[in-house]
Amino acid sequence: MESLTETLWDVTISGTGLAQSLLALALSRSGKKVLHVDKNKYYGGSEAAFSLQEAQEWVDLVNAESSQMPFEDAQVYIPSDSTETGVGSLSPSRAYTLALSPQLIYSRSQLLPTLVSSKVYRQLEFQAVGSWWVHAHAGGSRDTDADALRGLYRVPSSREDVFADEMITTKSKRTLMRFLRHIGKAQQEDQGPSDAEEEDLSMSFPEYLTSRFQVPEELHEPLLSLSLSQDAPQQTPASFAIPRVKRHLASIGVFGAGFGSLLAKWGGGSEISQVGCRALAVGGGVYVLNTGVQAISKVADLAHLAVELSNGETVTSRHVVGSHWDLPSPSTPDCQKVARSITIVASPLDHLFPVTAEGSPIPSGAVVVFPGSALGQEGDPPVYLLAHSSETGECPLGQSVIYGSVAIPGPRGHTLLESAVEKLVHPARILWSLRYTQLGRASAVDDAAQAVQSSGFAENVFCFPPPSLDLAFDDGLIDLVRAVWRGVMGDEARDEEFLNFDDREEQLVDA
Amino acid sequence: MSDSANASKPSSSVKLVLLGEAAVGKSSLVLRFVNNDFQENKEPTIGAAFLTQKCSLPTRTIKFEIWDTAGQERFASLAPMYYRNAQAALVVYDITKPSSLTKAKHWVAELQRQASPGIVIALVGNKSDLASDNGNGNESNSSGGSGGNPGEPGPDAETTGDAISAGQDGEGNNDAIEGSGENAEEESDEAAARDARKVSTREARTYAEEESLLFFETSAKTGTNVTEVFTAIANAIPESSLKGGRGAGAGTGQTGLGGRAAEDSRVNLGDRATATAKEGCAC
Ligand SMILES: Nc1nc2c(ncn2[C@@H]2O[C@H](COP(=O)(O)OP(=O)(O)OP(=O)(O)O)[C@@H](O)[C@H]2O)c(=O)[nH]1
Ligand SMILES: [Mg+2]
Repeated sequence: MESLTETLWDVTISGTGLAQSLLALALSRSGKKVLHVDKNKYYGGSEAAFSLQEAQEWVDLVNAESSQMPFEDAQVYIPSDSTETGVGSLSPSRAYTLALSPQLIYSRSQLLPTLVSSKVYRQLEFQAVGSWWVHAHAGGSRDTDADALRGLYRVPSSREDVFADEMITTKSKRTLMRFLRHIGKAQQEDQGPSDAEEEDLSMSFPEYLTSRFQVPEELHEPLLSLSLSQDAPQQTPASFAIPRVKRHLASIGVFGAGFGSLLAKWGGGSEISQVGCRALAVGGGVYVLNTGVQAISKVADLAHLAVELSNGETVTSRHVVGSHWDLPSPSTPDCQKVARSITIVASPLDHLFPVTAEGSPIPSGAVVVFPGSALGQEGDPPVYLLAHSSETGECPLGQSVIYGSVAIPGPRGHTLLESAVEKLVHPARILWSLRYTQLGRASAVDDAAQAVQSSGFAENVFCFPPPSLDLAFDDGLIDLVRAVWRGVMGDEARDEEFLNFDDREEQLVDA
Repeated sequence: MSDSANASKPSSSVKLVLLGEAAVGKSSLVLRFVNNDFQENKEPTIGAAFLTQKCSLPTRTIKFEIWDTAGQERFASLAPMYYRNAQAALVVYDITKPSSLTKAKHWVAELQRQASPGIVIALVGNKSDLASDNGNGNESNSSGGSGGNPGEPGPDAETTGDAISAGQDGEGNNDAIEGSGENAEEESDEAAARDARKVSTREARTYAEEESLLFFETSAKTGTNVTEVFTAIANAIPESSLKGGRGAGAGTGQTGLGGRAAEDSRVNLGDRATATAKEGCAC
């Protein structure tokens, strides 16, 4: 094997999470010499996707080496009856692809044009996230409706939906429409002094809805759910929720009627990460798994860095890129913690994935929100459940996967997750579940260039901030990747070439 | 081949990965299958290459999305990314090089352990033109000498190669140290170019049967059996794993799905027309 030490690398990337892998993609045509390592034996970092057996190995790793990964307290639960064979039992390990950090991607996310312009979108398969459901506390008044019986209320997310909705009174519809119109207007008039700018948005979103639009209380939770806010309603400022509700509404119809967000088949972020790494590999990047960065020091007199790898080799590199968990970090970053779970259910849960508009694709994903008040206490943050059908390739036919998240770490968060999942899937059986605490960043990054540099590392070492805990893909990640890409490319960086490539296939034909 | 006849046939994508030791001819097999071409001195693959080719079966069209991986050991970490979710794998060895069959067996074991449970694996012994028992190992023009199936390379295929130069991989001057032994071996064969076979068909076939693999001996150089391998794979892919296949024909831009809305969950991000530019699979 050719030794890694003989090359002067332009950049050594440590870790194959989404941030590093998008950087790999960005550098895949740069002609730079790139060494891409990962201390793990799998691709995807905190966005990895696993078979059952890999998930078990990951659990052991997390518990043995906490603080080495942005995860803690992982545990697998297998109900005793699920190991029976036969209909509705757990399938073999590799029939599953379970994502550690599932995210939905809004149709207007910058990620999508980026995947298109970099030509890798053809290697991905996108599917629709259709309905948003809120678990209604009261349990529903009309017993004719199957969803109401289940306590599920489908959030209207378009004007047509609002008009068709049978649960909202005509008066409420009027106020709701007024609010939706207001939001739609602010969106069209991006310039000029709009109402929005004069508004006081520091109040909580429910307060805003009441005081400005007299939106009745029973519509607060449904509207909040469109913002994917992980805080309790009173803790969610209008300034946070409004742009996100706007984003939700503006995304519907972009790729087809009736849905506004997508998921990537086969495990989401993990699949996108691997597409990035594959692209760099095609571009000549060298990949080594099971090998981390142990120490970084400056080579005397030279502008190079000596990078000590865990396999004992020391390579020379102009730049080093990673995250706090992939580099010898001088400091521990400030992180939020959330409780998460992955649950395999012995039912397709078809009722969660109705076709939402004529001619639109069959959704593979759905969002179910359990407001704090529906489970525990009024002031609790909501539990979000992302339901994935077997169409995602994540589980066998006849089953489904529920990804849960709540912004309360530890046992209390897990109790909430568990009771939400049970309520949702009842009477279907739970076959397997994984619970863990995930560390990350709850808020957006303001200044990407500063964020990747200001971490106490040596010059030419870039460190991505902790991964976003947002349930929707955080477009800020692209800015972070661009900032590092600029740093690595130096004078050669031309922004219009960032993740903008010609087709490789055509290049191959020419060659 | 005109696609008009295929337009109504269901079309599915199949992700296929090629694995095998350096210089066994993985890229050459793909080049033969996709472009009906052969290069005597093919550069070793760096990382991996991606190509597509359509394959028309009586009842459906299969679009192969082919990942051709690098065989050199320094790229070994890449393989899991390529066989992940792959529906088919071509594990290639060189019939003139026993060590390459050993490596192929390792790949088969890894696939059986790690890849999707239903993956279709074909074991392929390449460079059959270098064996005398294949009838085209002599030094004269060897193209089109076999096969006889309508899609095989016709007289327009390359005709300049002889067995000697074909044996010179031209990769020894690069960094593939593994290849050097082979070069020496084959060059010493110069006089006896008639038969350089070192792996018997029977041995490989027996192993393939034990492991339930498809088995073929091919020559990327002459084209022998190349299309057959891909056709056999296309036929072996279970119908169930083709479910959710991508819609036939070009995408319809930003409006969603191309004509299969009722039964599909796929969302098209852009115009996929350019991806289907390469038509004309012979199978
Ligand atoms: N005689 C003969 N030579 C072949 C055949 N297939 C490939 N070769 C030659 O073998 C050498 C290696 O072929 P490649 O296709 O590059 O091999 P590879 O498996 O892709 O190698 P890596 O990319 O390094 O893994 C080239 O010089 C080819 O011309 C064949 O069927 N017959
Ligand atoms: Mg090759």
